[in-house]
This record gives sequence, structure tokens and C-alpha cells, in this order.
Amino acid sequence: MAAVENFVVNTDEGLLPQADALPPELPSLPPGEWMKKNLFSSPFSTILTFVFGAMALAAINVLVDFIFSDERNWTAPATNLRLLMTQAYPADQYIRVWVSVGLVAVLTGLSTGLWNAGDALSMKRISMWFMTGGSFVALVALLAPFDSGRRTTWLILAAVVVGIGLAIWFGLGERRRSIFVRSIYVVFGVLGAIIGSLWVVKYGNYALADGELVADPDALVAPTTRIPWTILLAILVGTYFIGRGLAGKVAALLKAIVMGAWLLAPFIIVWVILRDPDLDWDHVISTDIPMALAFGFGGGLILYALTKPGLGEIGKIVAGVLLAVAAFNWVAAFFGWYPMLQKARLSFLFLAIFALAAANFAGDRRTRLQLVWGWLGFMAVVHYMATMANTASTLEIQGDFFLGGLSLTLFIAVLTLMLSFPLGVLLALGRTSRMPIFRVLSTVYIETIRGVPLITILFFFSVIIPIFLPSGMGLSETAAIVIGYTLFSAAYLAENVRGGLQAVRRGQFEAADALGLTGSQRTGFIVLPQALRVSIPPLVGQAIATYKETSLVSIVGGFDLTRIADKVISAQTDFLGVKMENLLIISFIYWVGAFSMSKYSQKLERRLGVGER
Amino acid sequence: MAAPSLSTTQQQRPPLYRDAVVVKWALQLFILFLVLFAMWFLSKEAGDNLKAKGISTSFDFLSIDPGISLSEGIDTEPDTGGRALWVGMVNTLRLAIAGIFTATILGVAIGLARLSDNWIVRKFGNVYVETLRNIPLLVQILIWAALLGGLGRVALDNGPINGWLHISNKGVSIPRVFIADGFYQWAVVLLIGAVVGRWVFKQRTLKKDQTGEDTFPLGYAAAVVLVFGIIGWFIHPVFGFLNAPLQAISDAFGAIPEIAMQLALSAVAILFSARWIRNFFAERRTPAGTARLDDDDWFRVIFAAVGAAFACFFFLALWPGLSSWLINSFSDLFQVLADKFGDTPEGNARNGWPVDAKRPDIVQAGNFPNYGPAGLNMTLGFAAVFFSIVLYTGSFIAEIVRGGILAVAKGQTEAAQALGLRRSQMLRKVILPQAFRIVLPPLGNQYLNLTKNTSLAIAVGFSDLVQVGQTVGNQTGKPLSVFAIWMAFYLACSLTISVVVNFFNVRLKIVER
Amino acid sequence: MSISDATTAVSDELAARDDMIVCTGVDKWYGDFQALKGVTATIKEQEVVVVLGPSGSGKSTWIRCVNRLEQHQGGTIVVDGVELTNDVRNIEKIRSEVGMVFQQFNLFPHLTVLDNITLAPKWVKKQPKDVAEENARKLLDRVGIPEQADKYPGQLSGGQQQRVAIARSLAMEPRVMLFDEPTSALDPEMIKEVLDVMKELAQQGMTMVVVTHEMGFAREVADRIIFMEAGEIVEVGTPEHFFTNPTEDRTKLFLSQIL
Repeated sequence: MAAVENFVVNTDEGLLPQADALPPELPSLPPGEWMKKNLFSSPFSTILTFVFGAMALAAINVLVDFIFSDERNWTAPATNLRLLMTQAYPADQYIRVWVSVGLVAVLTGLSTGLWNAGDALSMKRISMWFMTGGSFVALVALLAPFDSGRRTTWLILAAVVVGIGLAIWFGLGERRRSIFVRSIYVVFGVLGAIIGSLWVVKYGNYALADGELVADPDALVAPTTRIPWTILLAILVGTYFIGRGLAGKVAALLKAIVMGAWLLAPFIIVWVILRDPDLDWDHVISTDIPMALAFGFGGGLILYALTKPGLGEIGKIVAGVLLAVAAFNWVAAFFGWYPMLQKARLSFLFLAIFALAAANFAGDRRTRLQLVWGWLGFMAVVHYMATMANTASTLEIQGDFFLGGLSLTLFIAVLTLMLSFPLGVLLALGRTSRMPIFRVLSTVYIETIRGVPLITILFFFSVIIPIFLPSGMGLSETAAIVIGYTLFSAAYLAENVRGGLQAVRRGQFEAADALGLTGSQRTGFIVLPQALRVSIPPLVGQAIATYKETSLVSIVGGFDLTRIADKVISAQTDFLGVKMENLLIISFIYWVGAFSMSKYSQKLERRLGVGER
Repeated sequence: MAAPSLSTTQQQRPPLYRDAVVVKWALQLFILFLVLFAMWFLSKEAGDNLKAKGISTSFDFLSIDPGISLSEGIDTEPDTGGRALWVGMVNTLRLAIAGIFTATILGVAIGLARLSDNWIVRKFGNVYVETLRNIPLLVQILIWAALLGGLGRVALDNGPINGWLHISNKGVSIPRVFIADGFYQWAVVLLIGAVVGRWVFKQRTLKKDQTGEDTFPLGYAAAVVLVFGIIGWFIHPVFGFLNAPLQAISDAFGAIPEIAMQLALSAVAILFSARWIRNFFAERRTPAGTARLDDDDWFRVIFAAVGAAFACFFFLALWPGLSSWLINSFSDLFQVLADKFGDTPEGNARNGWPVDAKRPDIVQAGNFPNYGPAGLNMTLGFAAVFFSIVLYTGSFIAEIVRGGILAVAKGQTEAAQALGLRRSQMLRKVILPQAFRIVLPPLGNQYLNLTKNTSLAIAVGFSDLVQVGQTVGNQTGKPLSVFAIWMAFYLACSLTISVVVNFFNVRLKIVER
Repeated sequence: MSISDATTAVSDELAARDDMIVCTGVDKWYGDFQALKGVTATIKEQEVVVVLGPSGSGKSTWIRCVNRLEQHQGGTIVVDGVELTNDVRNIEKIRSEVGMVFQQFNLFPHLTVLDNITLAPKWVKKQPKDVAEENARKLLDRVGIPEQADKYPGQLSGGQQQRVAIARSLAMEPRVMLFDEPTSALDPEMIKEVLDVMKELAQQGMTMVVVTHEMGFAREVADRIIFMEAGEIVEVGTPEHFFTNPTEDRTKLFLSQIL
């Protein structure tokens, strides 16, 4: 029960977000005693200290030697950054990439502001970060194969960082424990420092322009990079404060809108912004819009009729007929009996699903209209997206798909997660169902998929699915991969959700039954919300795994981050055989994503009190 | 009053479409039908398409020369597709077993390090875990491959430890301990030793229970097995006679007519179903008879019966080949066993040592020196996958071990101390059994993941099952059949690991009681 | 059996009312264990019946059969003229007419108090949101905690939670309320606040079946007391009859142990 309380997000303005309930801070020991307690408590411990200290130093030494060695060709990943991020996305259309990232920045800023995200950090911790960070820089400077000039620069930098830490520590005195800063400001500060450095530090300007290698190590980063990043940071910070400002006023509505936007964003970004559909306005006006209107209003009328109170079994029968028609459309498509736009088939299917749910909205005029409005909005989104996705792209790119590198990695990970989530929930419900056939079917599916490596499933879908499809139906490589990956990931998600479902107590089911809720209402309103809440930490874990395992796409031919680093760059004439550097860079990119997600999950777990029992 | 008349009525049946049980089962059967229909439809569609493209789904490629050569394994020039896949399976298993063994040791060490009192040790563990588990395994494999590939060539004398450990861009070579001719005879002796040892163990335990004195049952049992092992080392050729009876069993299996096997399988299915139904009735029987069986129960019973009937149909008519395949497999299995006891293919009696060992050697093949066959050679692919998979899985195992110990530690430690147990007793009798029980299921899961992850070896060209299967499938144009074999193999691995884990889990639950 | 005696003990005024719940020979097994052995009882409209008995005597099982949280396997149960069978429509009707309050409250922890109460009226009775909320606030007022509407169940005391649970059941405007040991999970100081709400409910003419160990409540509020043991109804009678002059030995034994 206590876990639930913590879900109440405090939206009071100006209030600092609560730090996680940590035990009261122990008074810190003086350095001498601290070392005695933590490093030299016994002879054995002393030996361990020296052995592991030496090992750690050796490891850092090897790593630093490797990174700063003259043999390393860091120009390779630096020159190919664009390739690593977006593969062959046309340079003259690059503004679209920036707009997409900007959209994400807006949503991130608004969300962090609206939900008042982040912790409170004490100045003491911040000062300790500075000191540790500075010491580490000094260590690197001493171990790295630098010439004396470079080493001095690094040491000065280290001294400055440590100095800031010391200044905070001693400048504030004992107040360092009681002064808190929002962690989000620290994040903004770090981002600001990194992006600010693009304007000052000479990282060098590397690019491949029309196959020509541009490498100017003594120049500033290209303006096409540093200007967008600066604007993005400004957007992020700005929207954060807008979010904070709006949090108190219309929070509930805004939060719903932002969440909807998050759900829609991946589709809009990929199919509308990045793909830049070449709309044929005649066709849009003559076909697309009338069809959307017909489905919207026709369907709306049907739904309004179906929500009439006291309709009883007739409503279910009509919904069943609609479902049969919708299903028949797909079967007919398989055999090619009659032509029909894919959009129409989809709309029929959705109408049937809405009709099935209609009985829940039977009531007065307002409730009935709610469903109708929901339907109209939904149709607008579906038809808009379908039109955009169906229109040819203006991009001229060879190959199967216009995304590549990190963007493909993210695209596959996000799409897979979004698609496999509902499927996983259904499978989990099936596996915990009281109906034996559903249980057996779900269990067999889940256990079979979980018993087989992902790579075999990906092979199956990329190589073998075209065989299964009837003649005339094609499937792009990326689509086949996403479908296979979704079916795979759903089995794992199902197991995580099942854990949550089993944690819902029997009394909750009984109370719902006793109130007269139907089976689907009980599942939707009572059981799933509680189960999903419990399964958030393992679900985040699954999301991390999905993100990491997108790298397998490279084996079946996808041009994702891993493939570009391992195969593409090392095949360029300028960088023949250069692999290690690229692999290290992408390791870091993967690591940042996975590590931050896992930290977030640990925090959630602590807050939910799952770890302790 | 209306009540008396109402109260004497029997339960009325509602119309079918409103009967909760009927609706429930109708829905389930409908979905089952849909799933079966979809599967039938898709496979029919695939069959047509395959025919149109001239691809067949048969397994005949298993006995045809695939015309490929493998980078490593027990047979690098397999003469049939089946043999090639078998080499892949052995390679996968070798990688998986070696990986599981090493990753467990590493994981436990790192897990304990993360709980250490010592700050540096603790931090070391933290950094290890947080770094390695957040980088995709595939990227780690590629990094190791790039790292090893960048090493120097094999040379005659640049070890690091010459004659014992060689590392180069051809991989790693270390001394090898291997099963020699006499091993299987020796294993029989060990088996007998184990049986006797178990008997001794029980006797000593019994004595301890009766007298209370320390009787060291485990020590005695180990000594018995050791004695058998030592004696067997010298007398093992005696067991060569087992060849004849095993051969006889093999022949006997081969002589079973197919129809007998079909009938036997059907009988087993019917027996199972009948037993289930009988138990079901027995469970529902009460002093008042079986009147309480409701519709739901009847549906279950009918379903069990129909299932048995379908199984019979399957064995007898749908796939009669299964029976002959089973007969052949059993026959082959015993044939292989018999061969292990008979003469070697060269015609020598098997009287060599059971186990032998050799040091790495370097041979001059053509212009460049290379590793010879004597040492245990890990090729670059094997080494890259092995190192990365061990380090990666180790980080997950470390977290599991740490969690398991943390989950037990506090109250139990205090309770054990209060009872006056010594520290070693406390660890052995209280903490470890409980921690082990908590740790076991997720550990089994990690072993499963490790086994599945060996399939990434394809990225560095190591000939594991997936890589071999892919090549064979492409060469012979039978990707579907290869996929079926993949599935069967990995499911068998998963099943084996879960059976082992469950076995220990059940044992530990008894310990706990 | 003493049931015939007990029926005569019911006042004529009560006997003249309509039947609300009629159970005839209800049987229920768990495996080999027979939890209910031919339970036969009639509960009249606006009657308050308290079910007493040692633990494991089948009291809870019986009232859980009445709104089909458990399925009975023999005999018939008729609630307000509707027989409990596998008929989906009957089950729906009875669930919306019979309210139930549980020992462990079983409030939905992820919903606010107000949402807990309005959920079923909105989705089962199809009430508009504002009507449902207005009703809910009235009910909260009636159970004495109007100020807790926007809190989560975890933030309330046990007694408050149980009162919310009562309000949640009442929001469905049930014809019968079943109480399954509503005070057993409460600290002693909170029992009274819940019992007070129940008493008020009884005075307003709600038909109630209460399984409880609160003898004071039984004596004061009950129209009739049903004593069960080992899955059977042993004795039925008015509180005076039951507490002062029980006929059955088993009843006497039970009373001597608890009073």
C-alpha cells in the first residue's frame, strides 16, 4: 500500500521533488579512519586492497594507452559520425533529422516539467562528484602516453575541476549538506557544458563530402553541428520551464496530451517528418479525405446507435457481424478476391473493435458522444498516418529503408517495444487465464519462443517469411525484422507481465466480481493497472535487452549501428580495416542508453519497494 | 408464499448462448480452431509457394554431401548434411558447457566482490558489472574478435608461456586433457563405484543418526569412488565384454516391426489420457458420489479423451514415419554404445588409458607455422565468443549471486549466531542452502541465455549450429528444414537445463524442510 | 432439525414479508471436504440476519455462494426471484443487486476513494460521471468520511477503508448487502465506527446478511440469528431466543466458549 502513496506526484509549484527515502546520512569519517575501515580493516583486506588497486591501475593504464595511442585512428568514427547516426540520409534534407530530435526534445522538456521529474541533490554530493571527476582526469593524464605539454594541460584541467569541488565543499561549510539542487538542473548544466565546449574547444572538423575526406583536427566543430545542438538545448530547457509553469494549472489534460504525443511521435517522426511523403493533392482530396470522412461519420453513427442503453444482445450481434466483415476483408485480400484499399480494411477492423467496446459506453448522451468523439479522433489519426505512410517518399536513397545507423537501431527498438507490449499483455493474460485452451496455447507459444535464440527467429523472418506470403504480397526486409523481433520480444514481455498478474491479490478479483464488473472491465480497470505497476522494473529490464539486442539485426543484413561500425566504415578506402575505434565508440553509445535506463529502473524499484520484502 | 415452490425446483438450464460454461468453451474452441486454421492455411500456402519455387521441405539433405568445409570441430570435412549439423551441435555444446562452467566461477567471484567490506574490491565489482552488462554481447564479441585478430602470427617460440600457452591471431592453444580409448570401460567401473559409494553413504548416515557420532559419510563415499576409480584405471579392459550384450539390444530394437511401435505409442497416449481421467474422477469423488461434476469438468474430460484419440491418429496415420525413426534411433544409440566397447575402427582392442593429456605443439604447415592437433586449440572465433560470453554472462550471474546472498543474510545470520553455530557451520548449513535456492532459478535462466547466445558466433564465423545450419540451408535450399532442426536442438537444450534446475530445486526444497 | 422450530420463532410480521434469499439444500465441496451440507434458509426483505459459528463452519462460504463468488454444487439459491445458475444474465443481475463487504476491504489501491466508489456505477449501471460522483460524495457523507474523497486507500486507516468499502457497495444501490466478517481485520478502536455505519444501514431497512463475531452487534441489531457449524445450520432464532435460551447443545457449547 505504501508503494501506492509514492505514486502521488506532488505538483505543488516550487516544491523540490522528494529525494528517495534514504537513511539519514551518517556523519562522514575523517579520511584516515575511512581508509582504515574500508581498505585496511584486516591483513587480508590490506592484501586485497593492494592486489585490486594494482589491477585497477593496470586496467586503466591499458585502456588509456589504447585510447590515446598514436596507432589509433579516431578520424574514422569522427569522419563517419553522420553515417553512424543516420547512414545515407541526404545531407540537404538533414534539417528533418534536427526537427525530429527537436520534437523529442520538446516532449522530453514538457514531460520532465509536467511530472516534476528528478531528485534533489545535496551540494555535498555535487562537490564530491567534482573532486572524484577531477582526480580521475588527473589519473588519466598521468597514465596516458602524452607529451609533457598535453599532460600539463590535462593536469591543469584536473586541478580546476578538483578546485571547484573543494571550493563548494569548504565554501559552504556545513551548509553543503542542507543546500539542495534539482538534479535536472545538474543535467542541464552538464549538457550546457558539453554543448558550450563545441563553440570553444577544437575537436576538429571531420566530414565526408562527396566521397572526399575532410579532416581538419585544429578547427572548431562544424557550425551545422554546433548551432542545431545549441538550439536543441535551448528548446529543452525552455519547454521544461513551460512544463513546470503549466504543471499546476491544466495538468491532467496536458499530461494526457503529452502521453498521446509520445505514443504518436515515433510514427510521425519516421513516416511524416523523416520520410517527407510526396503528397498527391488531387488524390488526397478526391479519395483520402472523403474516405476518412465516410468512415469517421458513418462509423460514428453506427457507434452512437450501438451505445443506446438497453440494446442488450443486439449490440453484441451487430459487433460480431462487423468483426466478421472485417476479418473477411483480410481473408479476401489474401486470396485477392476483390480489391480494397488497405486503409479501408484497417478502418473496418477498428470499427469492429470499437463496436465491441460500445456496450461499455451505453448511457446518457454525453457518454455516448464520448465514444463517438474518440472514434472521430482515432480515425483522423489513423487515416492521416495511413495516407502519409502510403505516399511515396521524396527521398532518393538506394537500399531497402531510409534509416540506418543509430536511427535504425532506435527505430527498431522503439517500434518493437510498442508493438510487442500489447501482444505480451495478451499472452500473459492467456497464460494466467482460467480457460485451459487459452492457457495451453499461450504457454506453448511463450515457451517455444523463449527456448529459441533470437538470431534464428530473425533468420526465419528475413529469409523464410517471403516463402509463406501468397504471391503478390511483399514485405520489406526491415518490416520482416520488426515483425520477427516483435513476436520474439512479446514472449519475454509476457513473462514479465505474468509476474505482475500473479502479484494481484485474489481479493481484488472478488471485489470486482462482487461489484458486477464484466470480465473485460475487471481486467482493464482493476487487474492490469495493478499488475503493470508491479512489473515496471522487469519491463524496463526487458526494454534494455531489446535495445541491446537490436545489434543482431546487423547479422541478418540490417544497416544498424553495429553493422556500420563493424563492416561499413572498415571497408572505406580511407579507413581500411579500422574497426576497434568504431566498436569502442558504439559501445559507449549503447552503454549510455542501457546504463541510464537501468539506473532509472533501479530507482523505480527502490521507490516501489520491490527489492525489499 | 412463493418460496416453497421455488425451493423445490431443480437447477434450470439457461439457453445455451447464455450459459457461462458453454460460452466459455465455445470461445476457446473457436480460438483454437482459428489458430489451427491459420497454421494450416499458412503451411499450405508455403507448400504451394515452395513447390512453385522448386524448394522441398524434406530432410533428405541430411544424408547428402553438402559440399562445405567447416572452420573447426570434430570433423571439418563432413560428408553428409547431417554430419555437418552434428559437428555444429557439438561445437555449440562445447562452447555452452565451457561457458557455463567458467561464467559461474567468474560470476560468483564478482558477486562476492560486490559484497566485500573492502572499498576497492567493491568498486571493482561495480564497475565490472555496470560496464559489461550494458554493452550488447554482439559488440563485445566483435571487439574481442578485432582485438585477437590484431595480434601477431603464430611463431615457434613466442608463447606467452612457451609449450603451455600460445596466443596469436590464430587463437589460443593450451594443454589438452581428453577422453582416450579406455574411457567408456572405465566409466562403467566408476558407475559401479558410485552405486557402492551411495550405499556406503547411506550406511554411514544411518550410523550417525543412530549413534550421534561424526561418521563423515561424504568422505567415506568419496573414498569408495576414488578406490574404484584407481582400480578401474588399470583393469578397465575387462569390461570390453559389454560389447556383445549392447549389440544384442541394438539388434533387438532394430527387429521391432513398425506397427508394433505405432501401437505401443498409441497405447501410451491412451494410457496417459485414461490415467488422467481416472485421477480426475478420483479427485472429484466424494462420499456423496460424483454428482458434482459440472459442465466445465465434463469438457475437460472430453478434451483429454479427444487428445488421446488425436495422438493415436497422429501415430498411426498422420506420421507413421515417427515410429520407424524412433526404432532406428534407439537401435543406433545402442549400436554406438556397443562400438565404444568393441574394437576401434583400426581393429585394436581398447586398452589404452581412459584419459590422456597433451601439450600444445606448433607445426610448420606450408610457409607459416600453425597450431598442431595436440593442444586444446581455441580458434579466434571460439576464443572471441567464449571470452565475451563468459564476461557478459558473468556480470549477470554476479548480480544474481549478490541478490541471493543479500536476500538471506540479515535475520538468518542473527538467528544462526543466536543458536551458537560457528561461522563455517552457519555458512554451510544456513546461508548457502537458502541463498542457493533463491539463486538457482535465475541462474538456470542465465545458463539458458548463455546457450542461446552462443548462436551469435555466426558473427565471427565460428562453426556453431546456427552458422553451419545457415550454410547448409543455403547450399541445399532447405531453410525450413534447417529451422526445424534449430528449434528442436535449442528446445532440447532449454528442456535439459530446466529439468536439471528443477531437479535441484526440488532437492533443495526438501533440504529446506 | 431445529429449522422448523426456528421458523416458528420468527414473528408473524416478518413472515408476511416477501422472500429475498431462498436457499434450499445448498451443497458445496472443496475436494473431499464438504463445506456446506444441505443449507436451507430463507431471508426476508428488510431483514437483518447475523450468521454465527466457529471458524471453518462454512459461514463465509455460504454467503459467498449467494453472490456466486463460489459456485454451489447442489441445491438451489434464489435471490429476489432469480435463480443462480450458469446463466450469464442471471449472474449479472444478481451481482448488481447484491452488495458485498469483505474482511480485507479489497479496495482498489490504484484508484482514489472517489474512483473506487464511482467505478461500478459508471461502468455497470452506466450512470453519467457527475451523477455517479454526486452519489459517491453523498455516500461518503453518510459513512462519515466526506473529506477523504481524493485520497488513495493506502492513506486511510482500516476503519475508514472499510467504510469506503461499504460506500462502494451501496453505490450500486443493492437490494441485499452481504458482510463477510467486516470487522475482523480491524484494530479494536476502529470496530465501532464500522459497526455504527452498519447499524444505521439496518435501521434504514436494508436487507443484510452479516457474518461476524461481534456478539453485541448481533444482539442489538439482528432480527434473526443463524448458527452454523461444520457446514450445517444448527439453530435459527431471534437474538433473545438465541442468547438466553438456545435449544441445541452445540449452540450452548459455542456460547459458553465465547461469552
